[in-house]
Amino acid sequence: MKIKTNLWTGIIMGLFSLLLLIMLPEQVKLPAYDSGAPSPRILPSFALIGMLISSVILIFQSLVLKKEKIYEFDMKYELPAIIVIAMLCVFTALIINVGYVAAAFIVFPIMLFYAGERKPFAYILTLVAAIAIFYMFRSVLNISLPAFPGFGG
Amino acid sequence: MGDFDIILQALGQVLSFTNIAVILGGLLLGIIVGCIPGLSVTLGIILLLPLTYGFSSPDTAIISLLAVYIGGMYGGSISAILLNSPGTNSAIATTFDGYPLAQQGKVKKVLDISLFASVFGGMFSAILLLLFSSLITKLVSSFASTEYFALAILGISLLAGVSGDSLPKGIISGLLGIFIACIGADAVTGVLRFTFDSRTLRYGIDMLPAMIAFIALTQVVLKLRDFIVHKGEIQDITKIDNEGLTATEAKSIVPACLRSSTIASIIGAMPGVGGGVAQFMCYNEARRASKRPQDFGKGSYEGVAAAESSNNAVVGSAMIPLLTLGIPGDGVTALLLGAFILHGIQPGPTMFTKQGVVAYSIILGTLIANVALIAVGLIFTRAVAKIVQVKYTYLAPIIILFCFAGAFAATGNTKELIITAGLLVVSYLFVILDFSVVPLMLGMILADIMEMNFVTSMMSYDNDIFIFFKRPITACILVLTVILLISLMKLNKRINALNDAQVAEMAQRDLEEAVEVEEAIEDGKFEAP
Repeated sequence: MKIKTNLWTGIIMGLFSLLLLIMLPEQVKLPAYDSGAPSPRILPSFALIGMLISSVILIFQSLVLKKEKIYEFDMKYELPAIIVIAMLCVFTALIINVGYVAAAFIVFPIMLFYAGERKPFAYILTLVAAIAIFYMFRSVLNISLPAFPGFGG
Repeated sequence: MGDFDIILQALGQVLSFTNIAVILGGLLLGIIVGCIPGLSVTLGIILLLPLTYGFSSPDTAIISLLAVYIGGMYGGSISAILLNSPGTNSAIATTFDGYPLAQQGKVKKVLDISLFASVFGGMFSAILLLLFSSLITKLVSSFASTEYFALAILGISLLAGVSGDSLPKGIISGLLGIFIACIGADAVTGVLRFTFDSRTLRYGIDMLPAMIAFIALTQVVLKLRDFIVHKGEIQDITKIDNEGLTATEAKSIVPACLRSSTIASIIGAMPGVGGGVAQFMCYNEARRASKRPQDFGKGSYEGVAAAESSNNAVVGSAMIPLLTLGIPGDGVTALLLGAFILHGIQPGPTMFTKQGVVAYSIILGTLIANVALIAVGLIFTRAVAKIVQVKYTYLAPIIILFCFAGAFAATGNTKELIITAGLLVVSYLFVILDFSVVPLMLGMILADIMEMNFVTSMMSYDNDIFIFFKRPITACILVLTVILLISLMKLNKRINALNDAQVAEMAQRDLEEAVEVEEAIEDGKFEAP
């Protein structure tokens, strides 16, 4: 599948900025009293209007000037990236629910197997690294990564 | 206290055991991430950034990150020479002569040339940084909030203009960064902005999880994708011999190093240009000035020296606008600016007056890191070269584990993990849309500085928006922004055309050589391997 990056960036970012501009009065309320400071809406408005104008320019470049950059989206090629990102989203959810080390013990063996790794050393190294990083952050940086419920952290 | 006293005090601080240890560790980490194709100096900096929270002083933290930057620039040349695959963008020109020399069996010699040239270029620009930083800050010491606001505009505009092929995409990226930085409570009025009543967004999006998601994790995911698709094939490494660089050979490459270091220092000090551009300009200049231009592309010592001294010279000179004006010179210095802010240091003219010792410690740290690169390079290059062949399935999980731990360390709240995962998905979408995230990161980093100085200017001048055009220096900076943006875009186009021509020329030469070998085999002059 050929993706026209200029056109799609223009459409996606144009709609995104337009939607947020419509929501601006609701999402950024004016302060209850006037302190003399400029409105808190100025910077987000500036950013969103600039994005909207640039998006329109991108769409114009693509449709009228025919200036385009194509990205060849091959599902066979991109699928591993999508699966790895999905695994990392699951990893995030698991860290919050079962802790950092337990989440690593669940997700990374699956990821390594999916990547075609069959040597036990790679699995052992990853799991030891998870434990080492957990304790390094706790003892060196005094940052307790989420632990298995009931096991500190 | 005069500048000299501050420098002496800073020197004592830099030469402490802790600082020397972090410099050596940072250099080694930099060489490792720099030499692995697909990883980068930015990844090394992001991995180390959360760990720097544990350092007692901010200058130690920044020095360690700079050591990664310096080591990474040299590390990029190792895989360029051994695998013909540059570890970093700044080492592309090194492959032109480095790999042919390695094929001729001169691996140790060419690695030594790379180390010598890297140290030469690095020290050259570090000395310039030491000499000119204080001078520039004295010139701009009278800057007020309006000038700082204009400088922030200058910084974002230049990077947005020169990142990627499309200016509108660069602008969207930079503005998106500013918008992301607006999410959460407004620092002046306390009003919540675009939180959508979500507790996760209430305190805004922190810089560190964003850096990790947009740069580090995205790199790892894409590299892992390539590993899986190509079934984990590992390129053969060229073996390292024992015959190093002689004194006569070292002497012969000094003029090329000097010329390249000078050009690269000037280019590096221009915000928004960076090492990728400098290497090709220096390589071409070295070929033009050489007594043996015919050797370039086939295995010229001067070619390797020019490419390597240029990319390391950029490190020190890119720090000049960062330290003196608070404007980053390239993507890596944009991250360093983020690191400065995370550690409570505000780069810019006031840094030399309010935090003079910290400023000079950082500059001297850069100088000492370049000296230490000689030792680290000579001792560890052979061992580090073997890491190039380590399977990515050994490295990727460890990097990912570090990334998530680092993101959590930003505030110690699990919301950072959710934000990291969310931004990773967005980042992958940006890859597909061919959208550079460097201006986005810079927008996030500079948004606070922009808004704070905008608010101060407005409150000081009765909300007169035209004050930015009434104050002469502010108006000059804004006009300069437009002029520089146009000229840098033109320059970038010319350099890209030059690069493409250079790469095409090399490819054509390789093809011709392959045809010659094939014909020779057909004629029976050689036996097919």
